[in-house]
Amino acid sequence: MRDRPTLESLCGAAAVRDPDPLTDRISSILPPLVIEPSTPAQVAAVLGWASDARRTVVIRGAGTRMGWGRVPEDVDLLLSTRGLNRIVAHADGDLTATVEAGVPLATLNAALARHGQCLPIDPPDRAGATIGGLLATNESGPLRHRHGTPRDLVIGIEIATPGGTIAKAGGRVVKNVAGYDLSKLMTGSFGSLAAIVSATFKLTPIARESATIRVGASDDRELAQLVSELMLSQLDLAACDLAVEFGVSAGSSVESHALLLKCTSLSSPVATQVSDALALCGAGRSVVFTGREAESLWAEHLSRRVTSLDIDPPVLDGSRQVPRGSTAPAIVRVSWMPADLVRVLSEVRDSLHGLAGRLTGRAALGAGLVALGGSTSDQVEAIARLRATTALANVVLISGSAPLKERVDVWGPPPAAHAVFAMLKQAFDPAGILNAGRGPI
Amino acid sequence: MTDTFRAQLGTIVGAGHVLHQPVDVLTYECDALAHLRELPVAVVMPGSAEEVQQVVRLAARERVPFVARGHGTGLSGGATPVAGGIVISLARLNRVVSIDIPNQRVVVEPGVTNLEITRQVAPFGFYYAPDPSSQQVCSIGGNVAENSGGAHCLKYGFTVHHVLAADVILPTGEMVTVGGAYADTPGPDLLGLVIGSEGTLGIVTRITVRILRKPAAVQTLLAAFDTIDAGGAAVSDIIAGGIIPAAIEMMDELAIKAAEAAVHPGFPNADTLLIVELDGPAAEVAGGMARVDQICRERGATHLELAQTDAHRMRIWKGRKGAFAAMGRMSPNYYVQDGVVPRSRLSEVLHRIRDLSQRSGLRIANVFHAGDGNLHPLICYDGRVPGQSEHAAAVAQEILVYCLEAGGSLTGEHGIGLDKAAYMPRMFNADDLAVMQTVRLAFDPQNLCNPGKIFPTPRLCGEVPGPYRAHPIETAGLAERV
Repeated sequence: MRDRPTLESLCGAAAVRDPDPLTDRISSILPPLVIEPSTPAQVAAVLGWASDARRTVVIRGAGTRMGWGRVPEDVDLLLSTRGLNRIVAHADGDLTATVEAGVPLATLNAALARHGQCLPIDPPDRAGATIGGLLATNESGPLRHRHGTPRDLVIGIEIATPGGTIAKAGGRVVKNVAGYDLSKLMTGSFGSLAAIVSATFKLTPIARESATIRVGASDDRELAQLVSELMLSQLDLAACDLAVEFGVSAGSSVESHALLLKCTSLSSPVATQVSDALALCGAGRSVVFTGREAESLWAEHLSRRVTSLDIDPPVLDGSRQVPRGSTAPAIVRVSWMPADLVRVLSEVRDSLHGLAGRLTGRAALGAGLVALGGSTSDQVEAIARLRATTALANVVLISGSAPLKERVDVWGPPPAAHAVFAMLKQAFDPAGILNAGRGPI
Repeated sequence: MTDTFRAQLGTIVGAGHVLHQPVDVLTYECDALAHLRELPVAVVMPGSAEEVQQVVRLAARERVPFVARGHGTGLSGGATPVAGGIVISLARLNRVVSIDIPNQRVVVEPGVTNLEITRQVAPFGFYYAPDPSSQQVCSIGGNVAENSGGAHCLKYGFTVHHVLAADVILPTGEMVTVGGAYADTPGPDLLGLVIGSEGTLGIVTRITVRILRKPAAVQTLLAAFDTIDAGGAAVSDIIAGGIIPAAIEMMDELAIKAAEAAVHPGFPNADTLLIVELDGPAAEVAGGMARVDQICRERGATHLELAQTDAHRMRIWKGRKGAFAAMGRMSPNYYVQDGVVPRSRLSEVLHRIRDLSQRSGLRIANVFHAGDGNLHPLICYDGRVPGQSEHAAAVAQEILVYCLEAGGSLTGEHGIGLDKAAYMPRMFNADDLAVMQTVRLAFDPQNLCNPGKIFPTPRLCGEVPGPYRAHPIETAGLAERV
């Protein structure tokens, strides 16, 4: 409260407000003030002031990933980037766009679509997520198979530093090796080093046609065999996602194994690619989806893991309320070697230890999410077992109840490069004002 | 350089792997940017990552600057030695450590050549995508330092998109792994920062790359145009038309003639040539090529030739890749520039270069990666004529100004190195450079690791004239005035 006059003088009275107890909470912590600067210079001024005054700042875009990370220590200020809402440039002839951090991905893509282009990032709940948040978390979706993560698409960045300056790196051209590529350093930084204020991306043309194939498999081995054959084939897929459910019904396990493949074409009918894929996968166990059906298949595939686990126990009266004895599902990010899939599935199954769960993710890249049902204690134990497996690495709790986060180290053991992270944190943010200990650095 | 220090180097790597006689170290006085030279006091050739680490630790303790070197093919002086410093050659770290086809990755040491990776995995139907023109001789460690591209990075990206992990000896001598064999290592993308840092943040001793399945089909089209404008417009139309070619290369009349005289690829007489290559599923390639053909016709192509066979395609690429060397027959000396422009502004910048050529009296050939706007003007001059090499350098600098004015970059793939460090303030302001320096000093507090590269001197470049103001690096406690 004491800071309100200062912040108003930096950004104007309209930019500062009291927190909303429902929407501005970070885990259990409610920051005393929220500021929404409308220019990069204002963001820099706020951070510069916070460094001098030793105020802790958490940066937020749409807030869709605020569940990630540790429960914060005290937060003095929530800095919303939603006032940085301009699409600065769309150079359609160059297939690039420059956009401010607070622009939602959906808004950007709607604008780009007018010229038949898009930023090919498809995170699970793509409606809200902002450009800044996607970069800070390096979040992606099934299209990662072809296009990589935001890290692979960003070509330039502008940041506001805790030192109170604005700095840029990279540029607006697709090929450029001048200077350090700070845009990479910002991806995955979770707002721990600086605030992203704008970024430039390379774009891709929107596919002329697309089709999705759902291929069922009867067990772990058959699924792994299919993934291996696809990886060795010359099929050029846009997405290749695993969908494995470990359900429990009436005390016995009910599992389903499937792959979702996406074929897209820019300049020819997609039918040839689909028939090539069917020939490889077996038409008998494959179903082809197009148009709205395909869209809802993908939406369901992605959304089910972030809502409630509705396999066991069944959702009560369809209202998705959480059944008694169970808590919100925990979402755990995991990585593996693609060729180890048989062992991965068996170890995930063992880790679940009879709990309902689901593994979704990029089959050919070995990157996915495990959704865990059960009570908090069940989840704590399952996460410990996942971390003890030999086939999984980088096991990170990205979403879970506050009690769960208090009992589990969300990031897991320190990464190999943690000393370098500490060094960079000290260099960028010597006063330690950013991100309130939420991690990863 | 004391005899003790030299003896200590010998203890680490074996005396036979330390060069210090002037005649021995002369080979290392420059990289492929041969006009910038400096004799190192010693060249040390470690045989393992552990030896690299020990050498770096020794250098850090004795405060001796060091420069890592792969195969010395860099074009920006990134491996030019530093006065009073040593060169750490990674040529002996040349083992392919493992090939993992099921997981599509290969682990190599930095001295392995780029093309060697493809050679090793080609029998399995795979290849390593980044293909710099020097791929037969350049080292993968150098590729990581420079974030090397190549003709096909239009579709496939650069080194940074194809490296999954790297072991790095930091300037302080610690070893860290950045990135990882497994996806999604938590934390900021240090691997992406290290790649392209031109050897200023550490020395890479082991690299995990991903390999790609060879595409099902490849087609290459040669298209001739009467004007730069027509060729440039065709490039823009292809990019804006929803086609992602594997490569689009452009050559102008002088480059075409030089290539034709040297390697006889059978190029037509033309003002401007485009080479457009598409790869991927057969139907997609055929459909895309039909569109490219149509665009070239609409833009007035005077000659269209679709390579249907591997031999034909090889002949076209031989002409393109041989163009640089061919310029040696046309001119006693030439200066290669490496600027980038937004591809929608190619014609405009090429016109300015043509005008500049007429004004300066120096012939300028253009042979470059048009699909991503990466110009490679070759400025022809005769070094024997007094003042002409300086004149050529001034012309090259003028071209960079054109690139920056068009919203482009100082370098697309050759790096800043020593060559362009002085131009950095034209592209980045003092605050931008100060933050980059903050990163550099966090890694290399003693400023020993390839000093003098990338950043202009004086080193505290964020300084502004006028009354004293604490530099951000000082504020961060990373440097102090003496």
